[in-house]
Amino acid sequence: MKVIEIKNLSKFYGKSRGIIDVSFDIPEGEIFGFIGPNGAGKSTTIRTLLNFIHPSAGSAKIFGMDCFTETEKIKKEVGYLPSEVNYYDDMKVKDLLAYSAKFYKKDCSMRIKDLSNIFELDLNKKIDELSYGNKKKVAIIQALLHEPRLLILDEPTGGLDPLMQNSFFEVLKEENKKGVTIFFSSHILSEVQKMCDRVAIIKEGKILKVEEIDKLRANKYKKIKVEFNDAEQVNILSLPGMMKVERSGKAVEFLYSGKIDAVIKLLAEYGVENLWIEEPSLEEVFMHYYEKEGK
Amino acid sequence: MIIFLRELAKNRKSFIIWTVVMVLLNLMMMSVYPTYADNAKKMQEMLENYPEGFVKAFGMGNLDLSQILHYFGVEAYLFITLLGSIYAMLLGSSILSKEESEKTIEFLLAKPVTRNTIVTAKGLCALFYIALFNAILVAVDYMLFEMFKKGDYSMNLFLLLSAAPFLLHMTFAAIGFVISVFIVKAKSVYPLSIGVVLGLYFLSIASAVSDKLENLKYLTPFEYVSASRLLTKERIEPVYLVIMLCVITLSVAATYVIYNKKNISV
Repeated sequence: MKVIEIKNLSKFYGKSRGIIDVSFDIPEGEIFGFIGPNGAGKSTTIRTLLNFIHPSAGSAKIFGMDCFTETEKIKKEVGYLPSEVNYYDDMKVKDLLAYSAKFYKKDCSMRIKDLSNIFELDLNKKIDELSYGNKKKVAIIQALLHEPRLLILDEPTGGLDPLMQNSFFEVLKEENKKGVTIFFSSHILSEVQKMCDRVAIIKEGKILKVEEIDKLRANKYKKIKVEFNDAEQVNILSLPGMMKVERSGKAVEFLYSGKIDAVIKLLAEYGVENLWIEEPSLEEVFMHYYEKEGK
Repeated sequence: MIIFLRELAKNRKSFIIWTVVMVLLNLMMMSVYPTYADNAKKMQEMLENYPEGFVKAFGMGNLDLSQILHYFGVEAYLFITLLGSIYAMLLGSSILSKEESEKTIEFLLAKPVTRNTIVTAKGLCALFYIALFNAILVAVDYMLFEMFKKGDYSMNLFLLLSAAPFLLHMTFAAIGFVISVFIVKAKSVYPLSIGVVLGLYFLSIASAVSDKLENLKYLTPFEYVSASRLLTKERIEPVYLVIMLCVITLSVAATYVIYNKKNISV
């Protein structure tokens, strides 16, 4: 079953771009990454899905229900973690969570207790007095307390220290095991890489690619670094499929998408002092991707 | 119901403050009445020496201030209409927009509620507090009338002077409600609300004082329910009643329509 189906979704604010012709599907049980630089249209996409803003064109469905006409039903099963957390300044943490729980007509008190233990959150504090990171924890618990079948997370880790991030990722994995689908929007590649099965890359409002994380990285590129005996030889190495070549001293470093065999055979004719062949990080793959599309 | 109860709690403090201040003001004004009535003749002579414009401006021209209803109409009624309208307008204009100016609307809209539910709950909360505000003032004023009266007064006219402010307050609250769909920033909403009420109040004074500006009276709800008008006509004139009911209905309807169409991003 498809949990999210987006078809040709566009949003313009007057003439300025929000998102253009965005399409992708997310099947049930997947952790789906949504990645792009700031201002690429990630939050616009999410806000359209949640019916905060109305699309200029296209359609979107969650659980097979129309995002714009059946939003009330959809939201019973959705937990949303906003990138910026803003709550009522007259409430304590427990008031806010209780208020949130009331909307779902089920008893969430155990869940609130468990989650606040995991995240070490004091329920009796006034929300106003919390630090940014602690506010984020309130938002996380608020998004999870009614046991939604879909989690929509917009820049979820901002403000969390590394330990809390780990606990948070553990909780997410736990939820995912129970069958919860997760839509994970972020500009931080390493966390998407750690969590997600597939990823959509968005830039300037358009989807560049939707790909499985493993494929995106492993199949195409290797990161190769060669150190020669002699600095003069640095310029000899030139093959089709070499990208982002950086030469410094006796070393050459580049991303390579051709056959490894060709590199080895070429190198065999020279004095090689050291050789590294590595998986590139997603950052490197994406940076390359963005640069290419930008031209 | 969840949002309605939440709004009741959230707006309780300001309601209490406004109500207490208004009750005290009424008490202060009405407690002076007995002394005033005893010296009514002198006062009347004094008033006659005032410039005509001044007397007209405060709607005292055709009123006999020795009667408790007329005295009330010039003194306490002024505060009930003017300050009450400011309260009603502030309540109406902030109750919906506050979620956006404080950016909590993202929380609320992510819950399984429709925008219609939000508008209804908040509108009803404003209605509830404005009705309660008026009911308390009517009860207090009734007691003060009974305490300080020098003779009999018309119960019908008392009730007319009690019902009219409620209608006035609802008119302002409804105008505030629809304005707040467009203007959500607290620092713009508050001055605008107070400005609209005071502006229309001064317009009513201007239209009373100057014959040239007389036709402006149709533009300001203060004129529709001015004490001198109500006490001489002994009713709210139908044309004004219709105008107020139309303003309320159209404002509320427009609020529903526009709020549903609106892009809400904070």
